[in-house]
Amino acid sequence: MNFKLVFRLAGKTLLVEAASMILPLCVALLYREDPTPFFFGIGITAGVGFLLSLLRSDTRFHAREGFFSAGLIWVLVGICGAIPFYACGYFDSFVDCFFESISGFTTTGSSILRAVEGLPMGILFWRSFTHWLGGMGILVLTIALLPSLGARTLHIMKAESPGPIISKLVPRASQTSKILYTIYFGLTAIMVICLLVAGMPLYDALVNSFATAGTGGFSVLNISIGGYQNPVFEVIIGVFMLLFSVNFALYFLILSGKVRQALKSDELRFFLAVVAASVVLISININSLYPSYLTSLRHAFFQVSTIISTTGFSSVDFDLWPEFSRTLLVILMLCGACAGSTGGGMKCSRILLLLKCVRREIRQILHPRSVSVVKLDGRVVDEKVLHSVMVFLGAYMLITFSAMLVVALDDFSFGTTFTAVVACIGNIGPGLEQVGPMGNFADFSHLSKLILSMCMITGRLEILPLLVLFSKSAWQRV
Amino acid sequence: MNIIIVGDGKVGYTLAELLSQEDHNITIVDNNSEALRKADDALDVMCVKGNGASISVLREAGAEHADVLIAATSLDEVNMVCCLNAKHLGTNFTVARVRNVEYTVDINAFKRDMGIDLLINPERATAVEIARLLRFPSAANIETFYRGRVELMSFRAREGDFFLGQPLSSLSDRVKGLPILFCAADRNGQVIIPDGSFVPQAEDRIYLIGAPVGVHEFFKLIGRYASHIRNVFVVGGGRITNYLASILERMNMRVKIVELKEDRCRQLSEDLPHSLIILGDGTDQELLDSENLEESDAFVALTDRDEDNLIISLYAMQRKVPKVVAKCNRQNYTGIVRHLGLESVISPKLFTANQILQIVRGRQNSKGSVMNTLYKIGDSGAEAMEFVVNQTTRHLGTPLKDLHLKRGILVAVIIHQGRTIIPEGSSTIEMGDTVIIISSGHGILDINDIFDDSLLERRGDNSEDDLLDRGLEL
Repeated sequence: MNFKLVFRLAGKTLLVEAASMILPLCVALLYREDPTPFFFGIGITAGVGFLLSLLRSDTRFHAREGFFSAGLIWVLVGICGAIPFYACGYFDSFVDCFFESISGFTTTGSSILRAVEGLPMGILFWRSFTHWLGGMGILVLTIALLPSLGARTLHIMKAESPGPIISKLVPRASQTSKILYTIYFGLTAIMVICLLVAGMPLYDALVNSFATAGTGGFSVLNISIGGYQNPVFEVIIGVFMLLFSVNFALYFLILSGKVRQALKSDELRFFLAVVAASVVLISININSLYPSYLTSLRHAFFQVSTIISTTGFSSVDFDLWPEFSRTLLVILMLCGACAGSTGGGMKCSRILLLLKCVRREIRQILHPRSVSVVKLDGRVVDEKVLHSVMVFLGAYMLITFSAMLVVALDDFSFGTTFTAVVACIGNIGPGLEQVGPMGNFADFSHLSKLILSMCMITGRLEILPLLVLFSKSAWQRV
Repeated sequence: MNIIIVGDGKVGYTLAELLSQEDHNITIVDNNSEALRKADDALDVMCVKGNGASISVLREAGAEHADVLIAATSLDEVNMVCCLNAKHLGTNFTVARVRNVEYTVDINAFKRDMGIDLLINPERATAVEIARLLRFPSAANIETFYRGRVELMSFRAREGDFFLGQPLSSLSDRVKGLPILFCAADRNGQVIIPDGSFVPQAEDRIYLIGAPVGVHEFFKLIGRYASHIRNVFVVGGGRITNYLASILERMNMRVKIVELKEDRCRQLSEDLPHSLIILGDGTDQELLDSENLEESDAFVALTDRDEDNLIISLYAMQRKVPKVVAKCNRQNYTGIVRHLGLESVISPKLFTANQILQIVRGRQNSKGSVMNTLYKIGDSGAEAMEFVVNQTTRHLGTPLKDLHLKRGILVAVIIHQGRTIIPEGSSTIEMGDTVIIISSGHGILDINDIFDDSLLERRGDNSEDDLLDRGLEL
C-alpha cells in the first residue's frame, strides 16, 4: 500500500471539505450566530489537510489504493465534519457528533438529536449540506475539482460510486465526475426553484433540497416534511426523491439525446415497477386511516418514495400504519435505489440480477445441460460481475446480522434493533418503533452508535472499501 | 481530440496509452472483455465491448463526433469495414491496419471508395525500417525527417573515440564544418540536450542530426563507417522476411533465409527467386555455423518468438557479425539486451503505434503549425519534432540568439527553401520553413510552445514587440 499517495489524496479531500464549510459559516454570519464552531472546523480540517497534502508521491493509483483511500478518507471526513457540531455545544459527546456527521455524509439522515428546532441555523445548514457533499461523493468532487490527481482516478470513483457496474460517461475520469456534479447541481437548483415557487422560504428550500438531492433526510423540523402541512411540498419533494434515486448516467443519455435508450434501462423499469406496485398496495392498505383515497395515495407515494430512495423524510408517522405496509416499507429499505444514483440500499440492479440468477438456476436444474447467460439492458453480464453481486448481497446480510447482535446489547425490541441497523446500512435514516420517523437514535449506547456509524459507511461505500480498511494486509507496506 | 481505437491488442493498447497521456479522449472498442478490463484498470480511457465493425457499437463509442478512428484488430477485413462504417457515421479521419498485400495494392481505391484515409501495413513498414538500418549499418537507429533529407542517428560512444573528454566547442574545424549537430546524449537513461560546453563520455548514446552526407562523413571520421553490406542472413520466414528480402534483392544484397516450415520455404522460394532459402531450425547453432554465419555482413532475427530472436542475435554478435538486427515486441527485453551490446532491436508493434501516433499528432494541430513527425529519444520523454512554420508562428525573422527558448529546447535544423541549415545564433526562422526541434520533455505540441514568453515580458525592453506580435496574432 502506498500510504503517501493515500494520505496525499486524503489531504486534498480535507481541503475540499474545509472549503465547503465556508458556506455554513456564511449562513451563520448571515443569521448573526456565533461562527466559532466553523472557525474551529475550517481551521483544524484545513490544517490537517494542508499538512497531509504536502506529502509527495509519484506513483500511480491501483485498485487497492483506490479502495483503501475511499474507506480511510470517509472516516477522516466524518471526524472533521463532526468538529463544528462538537464546538457548538448542543451535542452531548463527540461520539454523538461523529454519528451525526457520518449520518450526514453517508446520506443516512439518522439523528441522535431529540429535537432539531432551536439549533443554530448555521449548524443545521452544515448538517444538511453534508448530505449534498456525500450524495455524489466527496472523493468524486475532489477528482472533479483537482484533475491534477492524474490518470487512474477511476479506481477511486469505482470505490465510491454505488452499483455493481461502474462505467464512465466520457473517456476521462475527471471529466466524468465533472459531468456528474453538473447534473447533480442542475437538478438541485431546479428543485430549489420548484420549492421557492411553491412558497417555501429560501433557507428551508435550500436545506430540504440538499437533503433530497443527497437522498439524506435531515430535516429542520422535528416532524420532518409533515411539519409543513403542505401537500404541494410533499409532492415536489416526493418526485425529486425519485429523480435523485435514478442512475445519473441515464440523465447523461437523455442530455445527449438518447432518450429512448435511457427509457429502455432494465433497472429503471424495475425501479418504477416496484415503486408503482408498492404505492398501490400501501394506499389500499392504509385507506381506512385517512379521509379520502387521494390523501392515502399521497401519503403512500411520499413514504414509498422516501424509503426506496433511502432519503428518510416522512410526511406522517408510518410507524402507526398496519403491519403489511410497515413490512413492505422495510423490504423497500433493503432494496434501495438504482445504481449510480445518490441513494443507498442494496440497489435495484443487484436485486434484479439476483432474480435473474435465481431464474437461471432453476432452469439449470430442469435442464442440467442448458447454457444461458444473464442479460441486463440487452447486454450479457459478465460472470465476474454476477459473482461479485452475490458476494455483495451475502456480505451485506452478514454485516447486518453481526451489527444487529452488537446493537442488541442495548436491549431494545427486535423491531427497533433490526430496523435501526437496516436503516443505517441502507443509508435510509428512520426505521420503525423506537427509531421510527418520530423517534431518534439518542438512546443507543456509544458502542452501538459507533457500530451504526461504521454500518453507514459500509453501506455508502458498498462494503468492500471499509472491509479493506480493516484487513491486516492492507496496512502492510508490501 | 476524440479518438476511437478498435482492437485492444498490443498496438491498440500502446496507442491508447500514448494518446491518453497527450490529453486526447480515447475510447477503446474490443470484443474481449479481459483485454478491456486491463485497459480500463490502467488507463484513463473509456471501454466499449462489442464488434467494432458494427454500426451500433461504433455509434455507442461516439463515432459520429470522433476526430480519428484507428482500426487495429487482427483482421484486415474487420478493420476496413470498421473504417467504412465510421466514415459514414461522420468520423473525420480513419486509419486501418491492413496486412494483406493483395489489399494494399489497391490503396487509392480504398481511400476513395471505402473512406479509409490511411492504410498501415506493420510488416511492410518494419521491413522498410530494417532495410534502412542495413543500408547504413553504422548507426543503431535511424529516423528521418523532411522526406529523408535529414537523418537522426544514434550510436554509442566507445572508449577511444576522438571526440570524448573535450567540450563540443573545442572540436576541430573539420567536424565543425560538417552539416551535423550533436543534438542529444543519453547518459545512464538521462537525456541531456548538449551545448558547447558538453563533454561526451564513453558509453553515452549520442544522437546526431543532419544531412545524410554529413552524417556519413562523421562516421567515416570516427572510423565507424562499416563497409557496404553484401550478404544478409535472415532467420525466420514470416511476412516481414518476405517484404525485407524483396527490398534487399532490389538493393543487390544477397539474402539467405532460414525457415523451419517446409511449405513456407516453398512459398518464399517462389516469391524470392534470387534468395537462398534453407529449410531448418534457425535457433540451432550447428546449422547457423554450417551456413557460414561468420561470413555474413548482417544478421536479422525475425522468428515469431522474441526470446529466440534475442538469443540467436547475441550468438551472431559473438560470432562477430558486423550488423545484427533483432525483432522483439516486448519492450522490457529491449533494455536488457542493449546492455549486452545488441543495439538494433526493432518492435513492429511499437513501430506501427509510433507511425499512427505521428499521423494523429499531425492532425491535431491543423489550426496552428503542423507537426509532421515526432520521434522519441531515449526512455525519459525527450522528443525530436518536425514543424512547418506558417503564419501563426511567432517571432518570425528574429535571430535565434535573441529568442528566449524554454529550458531543454534545441532548434536543431532549419530547412529553408530546401536547404538544410544547422542554425547558428544569427539564423532566423522564416515563413514556410521546416524546423526540427529537440525537446528534453513532453508538452511541445505547437512550435509556439518553445518560446519562453514569461521571460520576454519580464525583461521589459522587448515586451512591446512581443505584445505587438501577440496582437497581430489575435
